[in-house]
Amino acid sequence: MSVRAIAARTGELLRAADARGLNAVLHWSEAHLEFEAARLEGQGPGPLAGMPIAIKDNIATLDLPTTCGSRILEGYVSPFEATAVRRLREAGALIAAKTNLDEFAMGSSTEHSAFGRVLHPMDPTRVPGGSSGGSGALVGAGVVPAALGSETGGSVRQPASFCGVVGVKPSYGRVSRYGLVAFGSSLDCISVFGQTVQDASRVLATISGHDPLDATSLARPPMAVAAPRADLRGLRIGLPREYFPADLDAGVRAGMERTIAVMRDLGATIVDVSLPHTQYAVPTYYIIAPAEASANLARYDGVRFGPTRPEGLPDVGALYRTTRGRGFGPEVRRRILIGTYVLSAGYYEAYYGKAQRMRARIADDFRQAFAAGVDLLFTPTTPTTAFKAGEKTEDPVQMYLADIFVCSVSLAGLPGLSIPVGRSEGLPVGGQLIAPYGEDERMLEVAGTLEGRLDATAEVR
Amino acid sequence: MRIGRDDVLKIARLAELAVDEADLPKLVEQLDGIVAYVAQLDAVPAEGDIAPFVPGPESVAWRADEVRPQSLALPPGAMAPAFRNGFFVVPRRTGMDEA
Amino acid sequence: MTWETVIGLEVHVQLGTRSKMFCGCATSFGEDPNTNVCPVCLGLPGALPVPNGEAIRLGVRGALALECTVHPVSVFARKNYFYPDLPKGYQISQYDKPLATRGRLRIDSPERGQLEVGITRLHLEEDAGKSLHDRFPGLTAVDLNRAGVPLAEIVSEPDLRSPGEARAYLTTLKQLLVYAGVSDCSMEKGHLRVDANLSVRRVGAPAFGTKTEVKNVNSFANVERALESERARQIAVLESGGTVQQVTMLFDAATGEARPMRSKEQSHDYRYFPDPDLPPLVLRAEWVEDERRRLPELPEAKRARLVAQYGLPTYDAGVLSSEVALADFFEELVAAGSEPKAASNWVMGDVMTSYNQTGGFPVSAAVTGAVIGLVKDGTVSLQAAKKVYAELVTSGGTPREVAERLGLIQVRDESALERWVDAVMAASPGEVERYRNGETKLLGFLVGQVMKASQGKADPKGVQPVLLRRLSQ
Repeated sequence: MSVRAIAARTGELLRAADARGLNAVLHWSEAHLEFEAARLEGQGPGPLAGMPIAIKDNIATLDLPTTCGSRILEGYVSPFEATAVRRLREAGALIAAKTNLDEFAMGSSTEHSAFGRVLHPMDPTRVPGGSSGGSGALVGAGVVPAALGSETGGSVRQPASFCGVVGVKPSYGRVSRYGLVAFGSSLDCISVFGQTVQDASRVLATISGHDPLDATSLARPPMAVAAPRADLRGLRIGLPREYFPADLDAGVRAGMERTIAVMRDLGATIVDVSLPHTQYAVPTYYIIAPAEASANLARYDGVRFGPTRPEGLPDVGALYRTTRGRGFGPEVRRRILIGTYVLSAGYYEAYYGKAQRMRARIADDFRQAFAAGVDLLFTPTTPTTAFKAGEKTEDPVQMYLADIFVCSVSLAGLPGLSIPVGRSEGLPVGGQLIAPYGEDERMLEVAGTLEGRLDATAEVR
Repeated sequence: MRIGRDDVLKIARLAELAVDEADLPKLVEQLDGIVAYVAQLDAVPAEGDIAPFVPGPESVAWRADEVRPQSLALPPGAMAPAFRNGFFVVPRRTGMDEA
Repeated sequence: MTWETVIGLEVHVQLGTRSKMFCGCATSFGEDPNTNVCPVCLGLPGALPVPNGEAIRLGVRGALALECTVHPVSVFARKNYFYPDLPKGYQISQYDKPLATRGRLRIDSPERGQLEVGITRLHLEEDAGKSLHDRFPGLTAVDLNRAGVPLAEIVSEPDLRSPGEARAYLTTLKQLLVYAGVSDCSMEKGHLRVDANLSVRRVGAPAFGTKTEVKNVNSFANVERALESERARQIAVLESGGTVQQVTMLFDAATGEARPMRSKEQSHDYRYFPDPDLPPLVLRAEWVEDERRRLPELPEAKRARLVAQYGLPTYDAGVLSSEVALADFFEELVAAGSEPKAASNWVMGDVMTSYNQTGGFPVSAAVTGAVIGLVKDGTVSLQAAKKVYAELVTSGGTPREVAERLGLIQVRDESALERWVDAVMAASPGEVERYRNGETKLLGFLVGQVMKASQGKADPKGVQPVLLRRLSQ
């Protein structure tokens, strides 16, 4: 297919998604698609050969705005682009659109966007997950084969699980964060959705690798495109018991059992392991991430960029307070306040200091499990299938618990991915693979193998 | 109750966030709930001195001292809500000095 | 009731790098506002800091020059507060794991002689931009050219006991850092800024009094004035039974006084935490040792060596070593053959005058040495030589040619001298008579007359023997 044809087809699909009210996209236009097609014609196909890719709206692009789903950045056009986006463009990707998200990536359902919630691609009464719900829904709806999202506590794996697509979080530092609007800097990872493992892997191979503009990027070359293994013989897969509680949703459990059976069938050895500090992952995350966010979001002060200024402000303090008070939504405000609190004088050791140490123990749990002779871990990605819109928005803590199986991986900086393993009452069920730090290719290979043997659309029970 | 109305007002001031009087009670309740939730970590004794963990490189790589500014596709004036004669401007209460 | 003054100084120096601390923007001075900026130092969404290796190296050199312990691992931390010229809403600095601690600086106290002042710490940080409050009415104008420039913050122990000592500390610190190549420490360019903390207590009191901080002082002399004024103010408050409030004072150069800032005093809670965008700063021991070896000869060592090697008085060594260039010039002169004390006198005098005016040496060491040589061999008198030098500074040339052109060559020709001597003796018969009758001190007068008669051209060393010969005839 020529790039013009790809651009035209993508435009049709985006228009159809708009017509459905999916609300997965914040910025796209025919003119921009044409511009992209013309660019690619001039440039040549590159390894990605015109692959249309959507970009979460907290990743800086030059030609489309970057709002982070927030009023405080409404209309903001970044004067520089993210390294990941530049690498995609140079490799021949067609940048299709900027996708909707929970404001500043803070959320697990994409109900906290200032620009309206995103619908689940299969059931409009449900959420697609978050915070990268727009990217997840767009890939789930078949509009684009791949999309960039970002993870701080599971925000690509979780929506991937809800939407029935592949979602991959790389090892922290393997993909440059330059141009990713910071939320929790020690946790943030640009991550990838794909319709298939191969799609996601090709994108990761393009965007990964050391970036001198990001001091936290690892001095490692880009990931190789992962080829699925013929079978799983010789592979030891650990099942952490803390991730298989007795009250696990029946559909999710069935999906896990089905997948484990396939793994055995392919020759893998299944091993029981324990990650004893799992129960502390979510509270640890909800100390560290908001703390870092409270500092990362201090730059939104209305001075150098931002919304039109109201008249009659008496002083700069009033400028800050009104810009930020009006510009940030309630979830963002809550997290900034919590973050400020846990760092404030007298509380640092009790909260932040303690959370950093708990984080070390959580990371150590994983290290020990792998060191004991396990090559990968397998768990459910989410405790349930996609929940209903409005179900968890009343109590912030209830929403946080949606991340219970994914956020420990983020705290440990490990690579993790979700693949669709089946359906439960029509809704996708996701299974999660976790690899040791730096072993991203291993989990992608195995995911590719499983993908070939699982019917992701089949009911699990 | 770990966090009360006065705490919230104090933190809001530190974070330069305006909080509406009407929203305050619910906000206090929600924040208190979150703090109570994360305070689960209190139950864990402070065993020994395990070093904090941060993933990524073990030491920071330096860059060479070269003048190679990253380009801006838009100049500061094009992005600023208020810009005058090359300066960002913000309102100032007359009679105040700041250090 | 005697009061003891306790002073500690926090000095921020701009490290002499070409680019900023965390981005590749230039650090140059005097550009149009907001032109040396990029996504990183503008604090735009998605931008990230990457540290400047030269800033780190210069920080380490400064720490080594101050005899600090340089820590193999230090950590960048975020110092969080809101201010219009602080783009990210936090400053990247160092907190509980700074680059260096526990150093010392030896100074000459005007009251106490040689004194060792403790250096608590030296750490690296980025500068904020500039806020201009008087540019537009009712507005603060912000220029971010300076935002992100690399700084070393140097904190002294509260070991200083007088405003004079504070000034001596600053002069000595500046000299040391300039020598070490860390910074030009120019207060005029804003490359060195001082915050002074001062408290008073009754002599013998165990605890320190409440301290105030004085900021916005633009010269070392004004630091001394500001501290004198603040000391007097605190003593007056305490003697009248009041208590000193812990406030920040701004110095007003016009009045010579410091007054409390009128803005709302917010006690800052900086909420320091390690910057997650920057892994720890790790320095290999061999690398630090290498930097220590590469330090140039520092002022104290140079002074001692000038005294020992050239036999110069301590005063001379002090003046010559006030700047490396002057000391180097002096040593060049001696290496080229000038006698050390003569060379020292010239450098401390005429050479330094033109150096201070021009910032350089319009007359090279070789040529200066030649001028000194002309005095030594009697070709010109010392006063004449100064005129020759002045001419060389403005118009160049060679010393002998200039001396000839200006008619300054001393006459030593015996017959010429005899002619002048005879003329003077003929013109002053009374004095000649009195000399021959025993008033030997009239010799000076007669020599002076000969000098006058020759319009200063006679070589005074040659005049005397000729005169003596004639007088005894």
